[in-house]
Amino acid sequence: MIRIQLVDDEPNILSSLRRLLKPQDWQIDTFNNVEDALGSLLEHEYAVIVSDYQMPTADGVTYLQFAKQKQPNAIRLVLSAYGDRESMIKAINQAEVYRYLSKPWDDYELVAAIKSAVDLYQLHKENQQLREENDAQRALIENWPR
Amino acid sequence: MAPTAPTQSDQDALNARLEQANRQLIQSEKLAAIGQLAAGVAHEINNPVGYVYSNLQSLEGYLNDLFRLTEAVDSAKSLEDLRLIKQNIDYDYLRDDLKDLLAESREGIERVKTIISAMKDFSHIEEESFKLADLHRGIETTLNVVNNELKYKADVVREFGELPDVECIISQINQVIMNLLVNAAQAIEEFGRIVVRTRHSGDVVVIEVEDTGKGISQDHLHRIFEPFFTTKPVGKGTGLGLSLSFNIIEKHNGDITAVSTPDQGTCFRITLPIVQPQQADHDGR
Repeated sequence: MIRIQLVDDEPNILSSLRRLLKPQDWQIDTFNNVEDALGSLLEHEYAVIVSDYQMPTADGVTYLQFAKQKQPNAIRLVLSAYGDRESMIKAINQAEVYRYLSKPWDDYELVAAIKSAVDLYQLHKENQQLREENDAQRALIENWPR
Repeated sequence: MAPTAPTQSDQDALNARLEQANRQLIQSEKLAAIGQLAAGVAHEINNPVGYVYSNLQSLEGYLNDLFRLTEAVDSAKSLEDLRLIKQNIDYDYLRDDLKDLLAESREGIERVKTIISAMKDFSHIEEESFKLADLHRGIETTLNVVNNELKYKADVVREFGELPDVECIISQINQVIMNLLVNAAQAIEEFGRIVVRTRHSGDVVVIEVEDTGKGISQDHLHRIFEPFFTTKPVGKGTGLGLSLSFNIIEKHNGDITAVSTPDQGTCFRITLPIVQPQQADHDGR
């Protein structure tokens, strides 16, 4: 099942996102602090990670950088109430985010962005699987006794 | 002709101009501070607006589901059909979540209301005269306005004593407190603690703002109240905040002092008389 991680220090944001994403067939994990979110990266494989920008112990970009090291395949998105240029540049250059969304968000837009992130994740994954299969088959052919 | 000594009326005129300049300076520092805060306040408002707005759209979906059920009352052939629809729309989840949705949305709107009224209280431009005021309320208002500057830097601890109403220009006292709070947050490098302490002793009240920040070096400590003295990078501070705070407290016949230990933190202490002495300038200039 596709797993989505949401990180925001405001619990009410997390509840409203959970409501919004409920109709989708995804497993939604929410975290209101960075430490727990990091911990869960070790336990589950995520397709998409959506993080707030400004949080008490670490900002979203720092968190997503960590997440990128732990789970490079997960597609990263920022959902921020701070639309300044500096934070956007950091998000793009340092955390290599797929989308930078701002609060208040448009429900349709947000769901569409996560959906397309999920598609991208699946595409990468499929690609990887096909390559592995391909490599395995090629190895088989090359080692075939002539 | 030899220059004559300034007459009393010349001196009065000069004094009046100086006071006017001072007043304008206080006003412009206040506006600068509000400008600096605007980005933070926008963030504070965008969060609740974000989830309330999204919740409203979810609510619309819930209502559509509920209407589907109620309208089926007329068209359904059997009770079983109704039950099926009820199951289909996940009625139990809907009913439980509806309560949370409304409670959270109400909380969000309350949050926006608090911020707006704090901003309004805070910027009270018309209130420029000495009046009895509740300092704790002023402090709470100010904390609400600067919440966004503080919450990512420090836990704010209130150690409030019992305070009588104090004769002051509350908007100006708020401005001083705001200044101290923002400075405290800026002094903290990672995450620390800011204590706001109040107490009543004899005919004065004492307000302290203490942080666990990087502290002020002894060389700088005796200069902090000088106009334009700042150690902040260009664009971060005007160097006027503390100097104006000093002027404001002086005008209130009070005292503002700072004690600091580098790498441990700083404590600013304001002492204000509860009642202004009679000869004081009571028109607020």
